Amino acid sequence: MIGPAAAQDAKTIAATVCVACHTEDGNSVIPMFPKIAGQQETYVIKQLKDFMSGRRKSDVMGPIVAQLKPEDVAPLAAYFSQQKLMPSAPGDKDVLGLGKMIFYDGNEETGVPACVGCHQALGAGFDIYPRIGGQHAEYIRQQLKNFAAGERSNDPSRYMRVTAKRLSDEEANAVAQYLMGLGGK
Amino acid sequence: MNKFLTTVVVAASLPLAASAQTPPVWNEIKGELATALQTKGDAARGETAFVACQGCHRKDASGRTSGAYPRLSGQHSTVLMKQITDIRAGRRHNPKMEPYVDDHEVTPYEVADIALYVQGLPISNENGKGPGAGVAAGKQIYDRDCVTCHGTNGEGSAEKFYPMVAAQHYRYLLRELHFIRDGDRGNSNPEMVKVIKPYHDADMEALADYMSQLPPPNK
Repeated sequence: MIGPAAAQDAKTIAATVCVACHTEDGNSVIPMFPKIAGQQETYVIKQLKDFMSGRRKSDVMGPIVAQLKPEDVAPLAAYFSQQKLMPSAPGDKDVLGLGKMIFYDGNEETGVPACVGCHQALGAGFDIYPRIGGQHAEYIRQQLKNFAAGERSNDPSRYMRVTAKRLSDEEANAVAQYLMGLGGK
Repeated sequence: MNKFLTTVVVAASLPLAASAQTPPVWNEIKGELATALQTKGDAARGETAFVACQGCHRKDASGRTSGAYPRLSGQHSTVLMKQITDIRAGRRHNPKMEPYVDDHEVTPYEVADIALYVQGLPISNENGKGPGAGVAAGKQIYDRDCVTCHGTNGEGSAEKFYPMVAAQHYRYLLRELHFIRDGDRGNSNPEMVKVIKPYHDADMEALADYMSQLPPPNK
């Protein structure tokens, strides 16, 4: 059972609140819960704030962040961004070729930008653009679905909603598998 | 009808006789374009804002040799500002790009930043080139019809908003020539449309071939 987040210390919050889904250092072992170890600090700050305001909807995270105070956000983001991301298993090898192509080139015909443009080499992310390399494929897949359906709408400029909608199911699946295998820093 | 009314009606109908309606002024400096042009761009801010463009145009703004996306590096900042604001406004038809450059993604001030940053990027000579067979014929057409606006070396004109066409991807040049000739581009310069309207497809292939082989102009 998750108790109230009494302490302001980020490490303590991680060990008592976040641990249930993300594990203590953020290397979630449950594919539907994202790994947050080594995530871009600026991105984590925005996501926590967006969960708190409801700008990003989540039946799971909504009640969780209700236990946090606004001043917990920055320390938590700093803490998780400093954790080391552990690599995931390599993805389904049958789709890695397609996944790699989408990551580096996108789809010129349908107007899918290459993920590398924003998410950088190895999908490491940068500032507002999240690290997606090494993330659970299932989680990536779900986020792409949520963006495509408009159910996730906290991308600042519809960029991910437009992109996810342009991706075919096959491409989205392939790139999620490819990204999972991109490993840590 | 009395004489006065007749005069007015005749006078009013004269310009209408020349064309169905008054054609829009090409490249009216107003709205977002005016804002961007009046902004002192910041290249460092432009570099950050340009990250969102890298997914298609690549980190070095070299575009795609397939011609799917143009090389932007070294292009005149005025041209870039005009094309971005034209695409945002729908004056230039580009449904692929439009959502990625709309006002939620980039402010008019960032348009100026990006344009300045990209203008300063080095131009690679590794652009997608045409087959080469059309270069001689293309040069003839270019020297006859295009030099006046786009320059002897395909360098374009910043002041006149005429793009640099040298060292641009062959298939991009060809596609845009088709769009401009056939009315699909949306923001074509009517003077240019007049010039290329009579071109056959083979003329445009030769022209694009020639331009794609032109080296990056010296700055």
